[in-house]
Amino acid sequence: MDTYVQVDPTQKLDAYKAVKKIPLDEYFTSGHRTCQGCESALVMKMMAKAAGPRTIVLGSTGCMYVANTTYYSTSWVLPWMHTQLGSSGSAALGAAAALKALMRKGKMKKEPINVIAFCGDGGGADMGVGAISATLTHPDYNCLILMYDNESYANTDIQLSGSTPWGANTTFSTPGSVRRIMHRRWKKNMAGMMAAGHPTCRYVATVCMSYGLAAMNSIRKALAIGGPTFIHSLDPCPKGWDYDPYISHELGELAVNTGIWPLYEVEDGVLKLLGRTQQIAAKKIPRQPVRDYLLKQGRFAHFTNDDIDYFQSKVDEMWEKWLVPGVIPFKADLEADAAPSS
Amino acid sequence: MGRLYAIEIIYRGIFQKLLATRIQRAIVLAAHNEGKVGISFGRYGDSPERNGIPAKGFAIVATDPTTLEEGMAKYEPKEVDITICVDDTLCKGVESWAWYGLQPVNRLLKPGGTLIVTSKEGPETIIAMTHRKEAPYQLSILKGTVSFSGLWVYKDDHTDVRILGAVAKILPDLFSLKSVQKAILSEWKSELKTISAANAYERTTSITVNPNQGNPEVPYKFDLPKWHEMREGISIPSIPAGHEMDDPKSHAEGGFQPDRNPTFLKFSTRTMRPVVNFDTCIKCTLCWLQCPDSCFDVTPEGLYDANMKACCGCGVCEAVCPVKNCVTMVNEAEFSDNSSQWEAWRENKEGYKSWLEDKIKNPAERSHGFRYRGQYEEQIPEMLEIAAGK
Repeated sequence: MDTYVQVDPTQKLDAYKAVKKIPLDEYFTSGHRTCQGCESALVMKMMAKAAGPRTIVLGSTGCMYVANTTYYSTSWVLPWMHTQLGSSGSAALGAAAALKALMRKGKMKKEPINVIAFCGDGGGADMGVGAISATLTHPDYNCLILMYDNESYANTDIQLSGSTPWGANTTFSTPGSVRRIMHRRWKKNMAGMMAAGHPTCRYVATVCMSYGLAAMNSIRKALAIGGPTFIHSLDPCPKGWDYDPYISHELGELAVNTGIWPLYEVEDGVLKLLGRTQQIAAKKIPRQPVRDYLLKQGRFAHFTNDDIDYFQSKVDEMWEKWLVPGVIPFKADLEADAAPSS
Repeated sequence: MGRLYAIEIIYRGIFQKLLATRIQRAIVLAAHNEGKVGISFGRYGDSPERNGIPAKGFAIVATDPTTLEEGMAKYEPKEVDITICVDDTLCKGVESWAWYGLQPVNRLLKPGGTLIVTSKEGPETIIAMTHRKEAPYQLSILKGTVSFSGLWVYKDDHTDVRILGAVAKILPDLFSLKSVQKAILSEWKSELKTISAANAYERTTSITVNPNQGNPEVPYKFDLPKWHEMREGISIPSIPAGHEMDDPKSHAEGGFQPDRNPTFLKFSTRTMRPVVNFDTCIKCTLCWLQCPDSCFDVTPEGLYDANMKACCGCGVCEAVCPVKNCVTMVNEAEFSDNSSQWEAWRENKEGYKSWLEDKIKNPAERSHGFRYRGQYEEQIPEMLEIAAGK
C-alpha cells in the first residue's frame, strides 16, 4: 500500500500447508494450572507455535494469566508479561511502539519481532474494547490482539460477560424457580464489530482450536500482514460450560457445525468465510441443529424445548436474515423477537 | 479449653466442588444439632478451582466458641481427625493449585485418625497408592463409583450423605447418626437420604494402616527461592526451548521433548491416563497437536509418547485419535509409576503388547462429568442400589 504510513517489515510467516508441516517446537509448554481439557491453553500453545521464537506476548488478566503464571512459576518459553484487565490493546500498541523507537534509535538490532497481546472475553469484549478499538486505528504498528473467548469470566468462577450466550447458567444468572432464563442478552459480535468499525485494520479473523491448522494459519497471516490485527477465538470451557473435558474438541466442532460460531476472515476489507462455515453458507453441508450443541453442556441444562427453539431461531436469523450472513447483524426488514417466557 | 474437631475434604476441583461443599456444610450443621459450634471453608490457595486439580475444604467444630476461634485463627488446620478423600486416585498425592509440591493425602491426619476414601478398589490398591506415614492411621473405604459432576448440575447419588453417615460412626463424639439425619432432613428434605446415611453408618468399618505399609516414595518437592534470590521486579526465567529425544535402544536422536515447568507437574490432576498403542499409530499428529498440556514427547521415529509427569488426563487425545484403541484412557489406579510407555515399548515390544492388552481390556469405569442431558439420571440408580446395600 502506498500511503504516508510507515509500516515496518514483519516476519515472513507462510501458511502451513499441512498438519505434518507444523514445527515440533513448543513456545508455551506444560505445567500450567488450567482445567483438564482447557481449550484456551490450547490457543496459547498454538498461538506461540504459529508465531515462533522471536515473539513478545502480553497477557491481560484472566485464566491465561492466573493459571499459567501462578506463584513464581511459568509455562512460557517466550518472553511474557502481564498487563491489566482492560489494557491488551494499549499494551500491544505500546510494546510495538517501543520496539519501533528502540530500533530507530539504534538501541536494539533492527529485526521484525511479533507482538501479541491476548485477552479473555471479559478483558477484551467487556473492559478492553475501547483500547482494542484505538489500537486497530493505528495502522503503523505491527501487533496482534487475540481474544480467547470462553464466554464468561471463567477465572473467577464464571460470572457472565458480554460474550456469554443467551440463557446460559453463570454465577450471575443462576436459573431459579420463578425465573428460568436469567441472562437475556445475546452474545456480543466482537469480530464483526472490529472488522466493520476499523477500515484501516488489515486483518480480522475468527478461529476455533478444534480446527487447529486453520487457526494457526490465521494467526500467521495476522502477524505477517502489517499493522494492528484482531483475532477472536471461541474456546469451549469445561469449567464454565459444565461438560466432561473429553468432549472439549467436539464442542468446538459443534459450535462451528451448528453455525453458532462462523469461521471467517476479513483481509483488507474482503470477507471470506472459511472451512466448514464456507461449506455451510454455500449449502454444501447442512447446519447441524443447535440442540446437539446445547444438550451436551450443563450450563444449558435448564433449557426447555421452547428455549432451544428460540436459540435455534436466533441462529437461523444469523444465516437467513443478516445482510452479511454470520458476520454483520444488519437486516433489510424489522424482525419480531419472541423470546420464550421464563 | 474445649475440644476442637477438624475434618478435611480432599476433592477434584470443580468436578466435586458441590459435593465437597455439601459435605463440609452438613458436618457443621449436624454438630450444631448437638450444641457445638463450627465453620466450614474452602482453602484459599485452591481458588479459583480448575477441573480436576486437587482442592481442599475444611469443617472445624468446637465444643465452645473460644476453642473454635482458636481453630479459625489458623489458615488451615495443622492436623485433622478425619481426612475425607472423595476420589481414590487422589491417594497418589495432592499437588494443589497453590505452590506446595506433591503432598501425601494423609499428611494432616492425627495418629490414629481416619482416612475415608470413596472407591471401587479394595484396601490393597488404596494403601499401595498412599504415601507411608510415621504413625498408624485408620482406613475406611466407602464402596461406590466415584462421584463426579460439574459446576451447575449436581449428581445427587447420595455420596454426600453416605460420607456423613460414615463420619458419625468413626467420630461419635462429633455428632450422632440422629443429629446428622436431622441435618440432612433440614438441608435436603429427603427421607431416602437419611436412610442412605444410616446404611453407611451401619456398614462403615476401618482397618489399621501401619507405618511400614504404603507407597515408600518421597513425594516430589522443590525449594522455594529465598527473597535475595528473587530477581528485579517480579520477573522469572522462562522455560528453556526444549530438545531432541534420545532413543534408549538405537541411540538415534530426533523428535522433540519440550522442557516443562519444573514447579508444577500436574500429574496428580489425573484420574485416567492415556495408554498408547505404538504399533497401530498412524502418526497423524492429532493427539500431540490437540493436547492442551503439551504433554506428548515426539520420539525420533515420529511417535507420540504421553509424558506422565505432564499429562492431566483430560482424554482429548483419545477423543481426537482416528484409530480404534490406539489411545485408550485407563483408570489411574491401575498404574504405580509415571515411566515412559514408549521406552517400555522400545525395550520389549511383545511384552508391551500384552501389558497394553491387559490394561485396556476393562475400559475405565469413570465419569468426568456432564456429557449429555439425562446422563446423571442413568448413573444414579446404580449408586442408590449400592447406598441401599443391594
